This record gives sequence, structure tokens and C-alpha cells, in this order.
Amino acid sequence: MTKKFSLTPYLFLSPALLAIAVFVLYPIAAVFFFSFTKYNISTPPVWVGLSNYQQLLKDSVFWLALQHSFTYLLVTPVLIFLSIVLAIIVNRQLPGINAFRAIYYIPVISGSIAVGISWRLIMGNNGLLNSLLISLGILDGPIQWLAEPGYALPIAMLVTTWMGLGYYMMIFLAGLQNINEDLYDAAQIDGCNAVQKHWHVSLPGLRPQLVMVAVVSSLAALQVFNEIYILFGRLGGVLNSGVTVVFYLWRKAFVLQQAGMASAIAIVLLVITLAFSVLNIRILEHGTEVE
Amino acid sequence: MRTKLFALLVLVSIVLAACAPAATQVAVEPQTIKETVVVKETQLVEQEVLITPTPGPNPMAVIDGVEDGAEITVWTFWLSPTFDAYIADVIAKFQEAYPGVTVNWEDHQATFQDDLRNSFAAGNAPDVINLSISEGWVTDFASQGNLLALDDLVPQEVIDTYFPNLWDQQLVDGKHYMFPYYQGIIVDLVNKQILDQAGLKVEDFPKTIDGLPAFCKTIVEKTDTLCDIRLTVTDLLAQMVYEGGVDILSEDGKTFTFDSPEAVEWLQMYADMVKDGSVDQTVLITTDDRVGLDLFTSGQAAFYNTGPNLIREVRANNPALYGYLDVVNAPVGKSGVVGKGLMAMSVNANTQYPKASVALAQFFTSAYSNLELAKLAAVYPSTPASYDDPFFAAAPVAIEDSAKPRAKDAVAALADIVPTVPSKAEVNEIVLQEIQKALFEGKDPQQALTDAVTAANELIK
Amino acid sequence: MGTIETTYNPAVPARGFNYKTAVGTFFWYVVLCLTAIITIFPFVWVLFTSLKGPADPIYSVPPQLFPTEPTFANYIRVWEQLPVANFFLNSITVSVTTVILNLIITSLAAYPLAKMKFKGRDAIFYLLLATFIIPPQLTSIPSFVLAVKVFKYYDSILALIFPSLATVLNIFMLRQAFRGVPNDLIEAGKIDGASELRIWWDILLPVVRPSLATAAIFTFVNQWNDFFWPSLMLHTRSHMTLQVGLVAMQGMMTSDARGMAAGVTMTVIPILIFFVLLQRHFVRGLSGAVKG
Repeated sequence: MTKKFSLTPYLFLSPALLAIAVFVLYPIAAVFFFSFTKYNISTPPVWVGLSNYQQLLKDSVFWLALQHSFTYLLVTPVLIFLSIVLAIIVNRQLPGINAFRAIYYIPVISGSIAVGISWRLIMGNNGLLNSLLISLGILDGPIQWLAEPGYALPIAMLVTTWMGLGYYMMIFLAGLQNINEDLYDAAQIDGCNAVQKHWHVSLPGLRPQLVMVAVVSSLAALQVFNEIYILFGRLGGVLNSGVTVVFYLWRKAFVLQQAGMASAIAIVLLVITLAFSVLNIRILEHGTEVE
Repeated sequence: MRTKLFALLVLVSIVLAACAPAATQVAVEPQTIKETVVVKETQLVEQEVLITPTPGPNPMAVIDGVEDGAEITVWTFWLSPTFDAYIADVIAKFQEAYPGVTVNWEDHQATFQDDLRNSFAAGNAPDVINLSISEGWVTDFASQGNLLALDDLVPQEVIDTYFPNLWDQQLVDGKHYMFPYYQGIIVDLVNKQILDQAGLKVEDFPKTIDGLPAFCKTIVEKTDTLCDIRLTVTDLLAQMVYEGGVDILSEDGKTFTFDSPEAVEWLQMYADMVKDGSVDQTVLITTDDRVGLDLFTSGQAAFYNTGPNLIREVRANNPALYGYLDVVNAPVGKSGVVGKGLMAMSVNANTQYPKASVALAQFFTSAYSNLELAKLAAVYPSTPASYDDPFFAAAPVAIEDSAKPRAKDAVAALADIVPTVPSKAEVNEIVLQEIQKALFEGKDPQQALTDAVTAANELIK
Repeated sequence: MGTIETTYNPAVPARGFNYKTAVGTFFWYVVLCLTAIITIFPFVWVLFTSLKGPADPIYSVPPQLFPTEPTFANYIRVWEQLPVANFFLNSITVSVTTVILNLIITSLAAYPLAKMKFKGRDAIFYLLLATFIIPPQLTSIPSFVLAVKVFKYYDSILALIFPSLATVLNIFMLRQAFRGVPNDLIEAGKIDGASELRIWWDILLPVVRPSLATAAIFTFVNQWNDFFWPSLMLHTRSHMTLQVGLVAMQGMMTSDARGMAAGVTMTVIPILIFFVLLQRHFVRGLSGAVKG
């Protein structure tokens, strides 16, 4: 490779860098600035210094939102476990297996809004779930699933998990099919049963996928919005039981017209996500061959 | 019609030109040539004028100085698709009265508030906006400076065409920001079947708000249904005033006082209902009125507080229920006033065409437009003149019309008894959070309200 | 460095009828069916609800799955009241355009990062890494202001395409893929006198096709499913994408559950058909692309 100076790398990079500069870097700087102002988008921002952050510290709903977002992270390990299991199950040459794989992917491609509306029809006070349980005699009267503060987050997490199964199953399936058959045979010879085979061969073989899925899924969990909006409406549920950090951000900025406060929330979210991702990658990459 | 006006003007100018002094003859001459050509046309039109006895400007064009070539947008709230033909008719008549103005129309439903807020933020909000008085949107947007004050733009004769109690609603700093549009009689729709199950009769329906909890309890105990009651979560202060007779502000309007015993009593009533498990919690705090309506329409609730105009939804979605539907007067709160107005038409403060927009807003809410809408749905005009139409004298036919005979008096009794609240949206948000704690977390209502008052007073200091 | 292409694993040949295998197979089918039921029962319920007329109860106890008088009236109603065709068209336009432009821009950017040595390469790489974790909603407020005041594409699908022109995830994925390409291929191209652009287009891109496919799928699905940003930008019905249109529909039909069900079904079924047709390419593209 010659050491001649060439413009080519920079030229190739420029469209991407330009787009990122305008749509990612500038907005981050702007949000940082807005977080120190009182701003309602239609009129120019007014500098207020650290007041937004101080208010946030005292805001019980914000802490609740943080708590909810962290709780939402539980979705990731559950989802990973279930999708790996599902991938292992569908990784066999039974006739019609492709049809099953396609069926499991339906929730993913339907979109979170269609999924949310469907689940809302089911979980509503007069929805399918209550009707079923009452007719089976398990319940006496309807349970207000979507209006009980304690149930809101678990229901949303259930919907998210349900939606993500097919998506991550496909990724793990592709990964499984990349694993050398001989490794399984070797394990068989060593006397491993089915579970041990997967533990010692499949899981290590899936490591790259695991890393990617863990990172992507946990980031998605911290950023969840659609499910909350559809299931619980503009208030975010009774007693803010469904309010996550991003939902609170949206509500502050676009419903209550307090974009300065919302920007402060955004910066806090950024710091948390950053710390979390670094941690995530460190833990998971440990031991894997990195480039 | 345009030709008539033009013809009249030409006629007048011909007469004046004929009487013009000789000195301007040179200047006039070229004009005469033009006029000669036009006179031919005029003669044809003159015959028209003789036949029809009412020449002159359109009687419905009551706003002067409308900008020519104006193009304005109007947003209506939940009127499509049911009233598409009506809206098209109103817009067509408007364009007859004010030729030269183009109107674009959009209808928004459940996301109306979000859409409107986003468009104000984006700077391309519609010129004329159909806002809900009952949800307090007019004062919301007016206090943010989004709406145009109408006081200097509307002539007194036009103001007089509205019920005074309706015109004077949703004031901010003493200024008017809306034309009252169609009004509702607030009633309770009743599901007779469920009442029978509970061993109750329609006459047993409470006449006052404080009779609701006991009534509810009986229903919940004897049937499998919950009570379908909705709090106006975006304007809880207003609800406190109407239902609880609460004084939310001090005399000088500088401190909040909604932690008074009356307020606590009001909140306690709802907290008790939640504790007894007799209300549907999703409906209680939904921002969307249709969610509560849906519960009733599906036959899962004994009653629902709404306007008779929504009976059409019941009819469309559950014809079986329509058969055993009844309508009763809504229970009155401690204030003695059942409610404020229902809908209004306002103008965007930043509109490029203020006169045209005011004209359209007024046209939508004119006696003609109100009457036409009243004929299509069980809503009632904000203009007394509409009630003189034989439509209102006719006896009620279906259950939707049952309120018709007493409509005029009911509408005349609607009043806005809520004082102007500073930082209304933010204070209501504080109140919402505290009230939720009292309702769902078992926080003591007095404590919740006092905390809210403290926070609110901090805000307006 | 791992395989780039892969084939499906060949089936283990059956060695005559084996009772144990038969039971095993039956067991797996049961598991698969149960999972399938869990996966699609909400949609089945919605489908049947959408076919029910006003006489068929949708909230009864016990619940009634099948309509006694199935009707398409709900679908007709939704079609007449909402520009559903526009919703689809807009979503397709946005997603396809974004995928094409995005792949070009990101693969172009990935090439130097993977294979070239130049000043600032590592700095740029780490900068991009840093932006990877930024949640899209975070930048929504300034992006909103940008869209309205600077680019003036509020209420247009351009507002959805521009911010997604370059995604860091794709740059990383493609960089990874490019790094797996043997340098000999590139050298050969240079000897033949090809410009870097030709090398990129003719040599590199075809080799990393599976990764491109994966990136395409990720980007497409992301754009298709996106609701938060489009809901802020699009307010005229005819400009809405599918997700925003669905929410508008939900808002319009809160007291019309049958209509709502019809609307949801109408949007899910075409996607389903499309996916079933493309399913094989999809899985093939995924396999071997992630580990690259």
C-alpha cells in the first residue's frame, strides 16, 4: 500500500460524516444547550442555568421513570434466553419448518403499533383475556389489567418480549447454522446429552450474535416508547405506572411544552446509555476474539 | 352574484362619470370607451336584477375587509366522516358570501391536541380552529398566546347574535378568544337492562353529583359492570369548580386555594369510589372521551355522562343497546351549573389573513350553520335566532331529540364559572399528579391537595 | 475469520423407522404448534373481530371467536374513511429510499474505515462508536426545530428519510464485513488499474452481499416500524406512514372496535404476504452475515 496522500478515504467518508454531523452531532450539542434553558419550541429559549437539573432531582416522576426504564432491562436476558431456545427448536429439518419460522416472525413485521392495538383489544377491561378468564371461572369480575399501576410495566414488557422473539430467533438461527456440525459430534462422543451439547457448543458458537443482540436489545429496552403510548395513552398509565424515561421526555417536550426540561432528561438518558453500553460491551467482549 | 355587485358598481360609476365636471373630460374619455363595452353586459344583468327582489351584498357576510385571495385552513374536531356533507355545505356557502377566499379543511380526532400543539410549535398551525370548550382548550391555547383576541375584530351586532353567557366563556385577561359553536346538553345515557339487573329504575338516577357513589355501589354489587365515569384530566380545576363548588383562586387571583374543605370532599368522593373498586380506572383518567363512550356502547356500563349527539355512535356500533337506551338529566354539582359550553371556533394568533379567518370562524358559528348541524345531530345552536326555526318547535321523535324542547333554556343556562387560572396547563398537571396519588395510592386527599396548592403557588410566584 | 456464505445444514438421514424418532418428532411438532399459537393468537382474534358485524358480540362472556355473519363492511368503512393506500405507499417509499441511500452512504464510508490507512481514521472510528449509543428520541427536539425552521420539510416524508441517511450500526456491520474480504482481491483490482470507486462497486460490494442484505433488512424494518419521529413530523393524513396512520385510525375508531380490528388486519396481511414470499432470501441473508 502506497503512502501517497489520497483524498479518497475522506471523500468516501464525507456523505456519512456530513449526515451524522447534521443529524446526530449538532442535535446533541443543541440538546445540551437546551437543557440549560426554558424553551417551549415556539418562542426562543431563555437561559436558566442548572435549574432544570435541580428540578429533575426533586421530580419524583422522573425517578419513577428511571426505575421503570431499568426494570425494562429485564426483558433482555429473558428475550435472549427464549429466542435461543426457540432458535434451537426450529433448527431442525422437519417438513414445514419454514412455515413455522415465518409464523414466529409475524409479530416482528406487523409493527409495534399494530401489535399494541391488538394487545390492547385483548387486555382491555372488556377484552378477550377477561372474558376468557371469567368464562373459565378463574375470575369473578373483570380485572383492570391496563389500569392497575402494578401491572402496567409487566404487561408492556410482556408485549415487547412477545414482539422480539421472532426477530432475535432469526438472528440466533443464522448463527446456529454457522456452527460446525463436527463440534456437536465431538461433544456427542464425549458423552454430552442434549442440554450439555447446547451449553458447550451452541452458546460459545453464538457468542458474536449474543453480543450484538444483548447490546441492541438492551438499548431498545432503555428507549421503549411505542408500546407505552399505545397501551396506556398520553398519560402513560395510571399513576405514571407505564412512564419510561423516553416517554417522560416526549410528554415534557411535546405535550407540556417544556422542551428545556425534556432536554435535561435527554442528557441524563445519554449519560446512562453511554455508561451502560460501555459496561455491556466490556463484559460480553471479554474473551471473544475482537478484531 | 359577483356579477350583480360588479354591475351595481359599474352602474354607479357610470352615473357619477356622467355627472363629472368637464375639466376631467380628457381623463374620462378612455374610461368611457371601456364603459361602453361593459354597458352591453350590464343591460343583460339589469334584467336579472329586476326579477330578483334582493340585490346587494350577501346577508351572511357580516365581517368587513376580508382579504382578497386569502387561503386559509380550518381544522374541525371529530366531525368527519359523519358530517362531511354539512361541512362541505358550510364552506361552499362561506365562499359564496366571501368570494376570493379559498378554504382548506382537515378533521382530526383523538390526536387533535397533540397534532395542534405540534403544528403550533412548527409554526404552521391552521388559521381557524375548532376547539373544545368543555376540555378547556380555548383558555389553554389562548394563555400561551396562540389565539387571536376577537374583541376589536368583531362588530357588536355580530356579538349580539350569540347567547351572552356563551360569548363570555373561556376569557383570558378579560379578552374573548372564541366564537361559541355547537353546544351540548349534558345528559346521562342509561342502559336500562343493567339498571333492571341492579334493581334500579331510571327515576332513581341521582339528581346531584354526591348521589353518584351510592348509586354506583348498588350497580357494581348487583351486576358485573363497573361505573363509567371520566375525570377531565386536562382541566381538573374546572371540574372541581363545577362539581364541588370549589373556589380555586383567592379573591385577588394571586394564590391558589383548592385545598379547601369543599375540594377535599369532592376528591374524597372519587377516592372512595376507586377504593370500593366501583369505577373503571382506564376510563377515569383517559384523555380520550371516546374510551368512556366505548365502554358504555359495548353494553358494559350502566350509564355514561355525555351529550345526546353521541347516541348516534351507540346506534352505529351496538344497535341492540339502542333499543333499551334512556336519557336522563345529568346530575348537578354543588355549583348548580351543569357545565360550560361544548365547542368553539377560534382564530390562530399568527394567521396571515386575520379578517378572512375571523369571517370563517364566525360563519361556522352563525345561526345558519348552527341550525344545519342541529338538524343532523343532537347538538344545539349557540345562536338564539336558530331556535326560531320550525325544527325546534317540532315534537321530538327519537330518543336523540328528547332534549330539544328544553334545549334553548338549557343552553342559555350554560356558564363558565371558572376564573382565569395563571399557568393553567402547568398547574393542572401538578393537580393531576397529586390527585392520582390520592386516588390510586391512598394518599390523604387533604394532604394531596395541599401539596398541589403549595407547588402551584410556587409556580406563579 | 469465519465463513461468509453458508448453506443450510443437511438433514440427518433417517435410518429406518425409529419409534423414538417418531415420538421425538411428534413432541417437537406439539412444541412448535403451541409456540405458533402463542405467537399469533392476538392477530387471530383481531382478524375475527374485524369480520364481525354489529350483531356479533365482541365483548361477550364467554368470548365468541367466529362471527355468525361474517362481513367485510368494517374493511370498507376503514378504506373509505382513511387513505390506507397512501399509508402503505408512504411507508414503502420511505423505507425503500432510505435503504438504498443509506446502504450506499454507509458502505462507502465503511470501505476506508476497513481497508485504508489515512490520517484520522481511528479518531473518526471512535467518534462514530460514541454516537452509536445515542437514542434517537434524544435528538428529537432539535431535529424537530431543524425540520421546521431550517430544512422546512415538516409534514413531508423527506423528514423521515434525511435523518436516517447514515446509521452507525450499518457502518460498523459493513466495516466488519469488508475487513473479512481478502486483500488480494483489492490488490488484483488495483493492478488492473481500477479506481477505488470501481473496486468498491465491482469487487467489494458483491462479496459482502449477505451483510448488505442484513443491513438492508435492519434498516428497512427500523424505518417501517418507526413511530416516534414520524408522529411528530406528519400531520396531514395523506402524508402519513403506516404506523402513524394506524394511530390516527385508532384515535378515530376508539368506539368502533370492529373498524379498528379491520384497520389493523389490513395493514398486517400485505406485510405478511410480502414476507412469506421473501422469507428464504431473508434467512439466507442473515446467516453468515452477523459473524463476519
